[in-house]
Amino acid sequence: MDWDLKEELRDCLVAAAPYGGPIALLRNPWRKEKAASVRPVLEIYSASGMPLASLLWKSGPVVSLGWSAEEELLCVQEDGVVLVYGLHGDFRRHFSMGNEVLQNRVLDARIFHTEFGSGVAILTGAHRFTLSANVGDLKLRRMPEVPGLQSAPSCWTTLCQDRVAHILLAVGPDLYLLDHAACSSVTPPGLAPGVSSFLQMAVSFTYRHLALFTDTGYIWMGTASLKEKLCEFNCNIRAPPKQMVWCSRPRSKERAVVVAWERRLMVVGDAPESIQFVLDEDSYLVPELDGVRIFSRSTHEFLHEVPVASEEIFKIASMAPGALLLEAQKEYEKESQKADEYLREIQELGQLTQAVQQCIEAAGHEHRPDMQKSLLRAASFGKCFLDRFPPDSFVRMCQDLRVLNAVRDYHIGIPLTYSQYKQLTIQVLLDRLVLRRLYPLAIQICEYLRLPEVQGVSRILAHWACYKVQQKDVSDEDVARAINQKLGDTPGVSYSDIAARAYGCGRTELAIKLLEYEPRSGEQVPLLLKMKRSKLALSKAIESGDTDLVFTVLLHLKNELNRGDFFMTLRNQPMALSLYRQRIEGRVAALQTAADAFYKAKNEFAAKATEDQMRLLRLQRRLEDELGGRFLDLSLHDTVTTLILGGHNKRAEQLARDFRIPDKRLWWLKLTALADLEDWEELEKFSKSKKSPIGYLPFVEICMKQHNKYEAKKYTSRVGPEQKVKALLLVGDVAQAADVAIEHRNEAELSLVLSHCTGATDGATADKIQRARAQAQKK
Amino acid sequence: MAFPHRPDAPELPDFSMLKRLARDQLIYLLEQLPGKKDLFIEADLMSPLDRIANVSILKQHEVDKLYKVESKPAVSSSEQLCFLVRPRIKNMRYIANLVNADKLAGRTRKYKVIFSPQKFYACEMVLEEEGIYGDVSCDEWAFSLLPLDVDLLSMELPEFFRDYFLEGDQRWINTVAQALHLLSTLYGPFPNCYGIGRCAKMSYELWRKLEDEEDGETKGRRPEIGHIFLLDRDMDFVTALCSQVVYEGLVDDTFRIKCGSVDFGPEVTSSDKSLKVLLNAEDKVFNEIRNEHFSNVFGFLSQKARNLQAQYDRRRGMDIKQMKNFVSQELKGLKQEHRLLSLHIGACESIMKKKTKQDFQELIKTEHALLEGFNIRESTSYIEEHIDRQVSPIESLRLMCLLSITENGLIPKDYRSLKTQYLQSYGPEHLLTFSNLRRAGLLTEQAPGDTLTAVESKVSKLVTDKAAGKITDAFSSLAKRSNFRAISKKLNLIPRVDGEYDLKVPRDMAYVFSGAYVPLSCRIIEQVLERRSWQGLDEVVRLLNCSELAFTDMTKEDKASSESLRLILVVFLGGCTFSEISALRFLGREKGYRFIFLTTAVTNSARLMEAMSEVKA
Repeated sequence: MDWDLKEELRDCLVAAAPYGGPIALLRNPWRKEKAASVRPVLEIYSASGMPLASLLWKSGPVVSLGWSAEEELLCVQEDGVVLVYGLHGDFRRHFSMGNEVLQNRVLDARIFHTEFGSGVAILTGAHRFTLSANVGDLKLRRMPEVPGLQSAPSCWTTLCQDRVAHILLAVGPDLYLLDHAACSSVTPPGLAPGVSSFLQMAVSFTYRHLALFTDTGYIWMGTASLKEKLCEFNCNIRAPPKQMVWCSRPRSKERAVVVAWERRLMVVGDAPESIQFVLDEDSYLVPELDGVRIFSRSTHEFLHEVPVASEEIFKIASMAPGALLLEAQKEYEKESQKADEYLREIQELGQLTQAVQQCIEAAGHEHRPDMQKSLLRAASFGKCFLDRFPPDSFVRMCQDLRVLNAVRDYHIGIPLTYSQYKQLTIQVLLDRLVLRRLYPLAIQICEYLRLPEVQGVSRILAHWACYKVQQKDVSDEDVARAINQKLGDTPGVSYSDIAARAYGCGRTELAIKLLEYEPRSGEQVPLLLKMKRSKLALSKAIESGDTDLVFTVLLHLKNELNRGDFFMTLRNQPMALSLYRQRIEGRVAALQTAADAFYKAKNEFAAKATEDQMRLLRLQRRLEDELGGRFLDLSLHDTVTTLILGGHNKRAEQLARDFRIPDKRLWWLKLTALADLEDWEELEKFSKSKKSPIGYLPFVEICMKQHNKYEAKKYTSRVGPEQKVKALLLVGDVAQAADVAIEHRNEAELSLVLSHCTGATDGATADKIQRARAQAQKK
Repeated sequence: MAFPHRPDAPELPDFSMLKRLARDQLIYLLEQLPGKKDLFIEADLMSPLDRIANVSILKQHEVDKLYKVESKPAVSSSEQLCFLVRPRIKNMRYIANLVNADKLAGRTRKYKVIFSPQKFYACEMVLEEEGIYGDVSCDEWAFSLLPLDVDLLSMELPEFFRDYFLEGDQRWINTVAQALHLLSTLYGPFPNCYGIGRCAKMSYELWRKLEDEEDGETKGRRPEIGHIFLLDRDMDFVTALCSQVVYEGLVDDTFRIKCGSVDFGPEVTSSDKSLKVLLNAEDKVFNEIRNEHFSNVFGFLSQKARNLQAQYDRRRGMDIKQMKNFVSQELKGLKQEHRLLSLHIGACESIMKKKTKQDFQELIKTEHALLEGFNIRESTSYIEEHIDRQVSPIESLRLMCLLSITENGLIPKDYRSLKTQYLQSYGPEHLLTFSNLRRAGLLTEQAPGDTLTAVESKVSKLVTDKAAGKITDAFSSLAKRSNFRAISKKLNLIPRVDGEYDLKVPRDMAYVFSGAYVPLSCRIIEQVLERRSWQGLDEVVRLLNCSELAFTDMTKEDKASSESLRLILVVFLGGCTFSEISALRFLGREKGYRFIFLTTAVTNSARLMEAMSEVKA
């Protein structure tokens, strides 16, 4: 251990995180003989004893320390307040465990880990339990009362079954299980008689097993559900152990419990004998997934069950295939023919594949690189004699071991075993490296393992950048430049996240600089708004061409600025202005103001049209009053038509004059209206009133449309010569049409007539035209 | 003459995947609200939804009753309400009213709003204003591409045209970019990209940005579609404004094809019921006539009828076994064909009736005169008469726009008089319509500073009125101020007519307008594809006022197979017409390409004009 501890461990509150995590020590806690002048010191060390942080404790008395799954240090104070610190001693947040806890003070507390995260369980001075299953999402649960509980339980622990946290406590010879609804008394099956009190209990890392230590020096081991007994052991030591933890390997059949007293360590399991160690120093046990870490002032050791593969290979006189292969390889290096003999022996048994696998697996469990190497060499040697051995397990093991050796390094200090590493996954390991600010190592690992950039390198770079912006002593310029240089356009890095972090640290200018590098406007704008740089946000939003974004800013601005400023801002951004006008204010159109506006805008045409419309509206109102019927909102044309249809010819003409309706329109209008009325007499009168400005063909057409051939014929004679043929054809006088066409000597007209000649009736006419044509051609 | 593709024509990609994707996503969203629920659907989304998931699929996912989102409140008793809407303020108010009414009545229900194709902040803002933001959950149904046909994808966003080209609202560009992104993830990267227009450029850039953000996915894939061409509608309004004479276009103009299907009324079905008919390549009869000039369709249909009769007649000489075969195998197909045939004949008759009534020939003649740029005065008075007679507000507007664009703006005198006439006919609210049209550049006034106009007005002061008209005519035929005219000349849009244009065996794309005019948009595409770039088209680009806005982007990798290089995705931003589709299909047949169309919506002249009109509230 690298640390230089002055005190004994027993004088400190100790907490060590699993998975080779850091160790926290609170020195000089509140001992009975209060030395008021000496404030306690909180120190955090890496697993190898490298100091990470040290700070003077200024808050209230601490009852318990613990690490959360995110490697945050939870300090439970006597008043029920939990303070959360980061790995580097930076204060994160705090929360309280409720009023009840505050009143009754904390007697004892435990930090435990479930699949939801890390939880806190508290025993109050009123002998009640309060727990929260996840400190990230704080929900306090007060456990039911234990009937007849007058004093603190002799020991207690949290269990986690079916995703629910329970509390198991021992009071005298009785065991109680608390869940959030009820308290039930339980008895472990097969418990030896004569127990008057339980001194210690331990739950395994996976919450599957439970061990109980009684005052008779008897240890009961069984499942955590208390339904089955696994084994028992009598160690005949009545002194209460300092610590008791499970030491077993996942999926292993062997189960063992490590019990520690001041100077003695005992491993007991399903065997009549126990293994005993002597502890030279005051030590502390950390339960791990596959064993127990034991550290003291000078050493840090790992106690675990020997994995099957290692056992097979290294057992004395082992004839397991792996052992033979290792031997064969050694002989091969000595250039001895024995190598061949060993190899042959394995091959005869057909166990070479198994041998290689054993060697690879055993290598994983070795901590010393030279042993790893020799085992891997053996595996690789054996592999040569196999046809189709998939190489990936070997390759992966080599990679994993390199990573593991790197993090186990003294300076890094994360002593992970292979099984822990697999359970933790590389992603979490990277996170933990990032948490320790070991960015270069993390990046090297990513690059070495060829992780996809988004998950690997760029994520780490982003974390690095977020850390970088917190360094307050470096100028904004330098930080921004340094970050951009390192990050460049690495995909998956969000500059806006970094900028948000910078803003969080109060470095707005830096945040804006960083945002300049953000390519996605959608990410820039919201942050700019948050930083109250609305105008910048607006221009960015407009640049992006994303209307939605512009609206976001506009609505934000409208709330933020007063009306005048708001419109001044808009004036400089025509696109925003047009958007605003179109959607938000709505269109208010009162005709007079419209006309005034048109005049101001020098759009005289529109102004005039608007005024005309005002005049028309007034007139229509009067017409409705005088004549009845509906006139409002009709167009001018329709108004006149309605008047004619109603027989108010005089008024119609007056209106036409007032509004200067052109003659052509009036004629068309009157013609259509009169024909609709079938007022043929009036129509004829009208046709003779003066020379028609639209000619007389429309008269013929309109009569025919009403199927009045008689009236139509009246007008054919007045149709001008160039349209005569058409008119005659319209009324169905093919013969006369032919005559006129021939007279005109017009080829187009002739063929038009010809196309109207049908069947026998017009046979003569058709002949006539053909003759005329022939004549014309002769000429 | 059916649809004879060259034998080497490339296969179209299978776009049904888009439908499946949209359906799965919708089902996922519906399943997020477990249990029985009532579904409120926006009217605009009903037809597209029907193409994706029919009622029985919705029922399978526990949709109980269906309601239309409309102005009047709906009475639903379900405990869970789900709204499927476009992101519009109006809809938010509707939902808010419903939720607040429940609150007043002390009722608590679950509400879920699904926005398609995406959600806008402004909508959430309204929900917040109405105080119901916390009561509803919002989701997005990113359904932006509906395959209407084997080669036609529509975004079904008719409002795109007005929002972008009139209001300058760019919110849909993101949607377009997302849609392009989806296409490129599904059908591989597009090695060659071309485009013209501001919107095209913005969409393209946004799309590229999206691709860059999550690159690596499409890399290394073989492209399925060799080219993509983005085109803004405002590059070519002329084509969209012309009357359509190709069968499919004509059906659209007459009956309005909605979301790939059309409602044939009683006059077509010759019964007393209307019938909804799906118009796509699966309709064998339709598939053969859709791209034909209307004058050929009747002949073709009667030929088809005769063939059908002959096939029916075959059964006379059959023995029992053959008869059995006939009944089991062919009869059903024949009957189906028979049904379709009678429908299309009915449609043709109905079209004929309508078109002859309105002097369709005259109209077409005027249009052609406008396109070619002669007899401007005559055309102007034709339009005036059109307005005076109140033939149709939309048609009149269309003709005025056509006149304005082909002439590069109306002469101030004409502009005033036509406008006055129009307002007299249809009411003053159209002042706003005219203002809209001016903003969109569809109907403009020539700047009075124009030198020729100045000369003209001076001259006209000196002579009598009648003579002035003639002089104006003379000037306008002399003047080269119209960009359209110049472009038309440059790109040879008006084919030289020697003799009759044979519409049965078309020579070029002009056949879609009776041989009078090659659609400008299609010609641009043709030219660019031929050159594989904009090179040599600088003058045209300049005339289109797009010097900065034409772009090409080619990747050097030649992973694309020759097959895929002949597949071209044309993206019309602001809508395309069936005439353009037909013209490009024709071009494809000639050159061995296949075109795939992606449009914000299928449009036609009437829809464009309606989008610009201000109707009485």
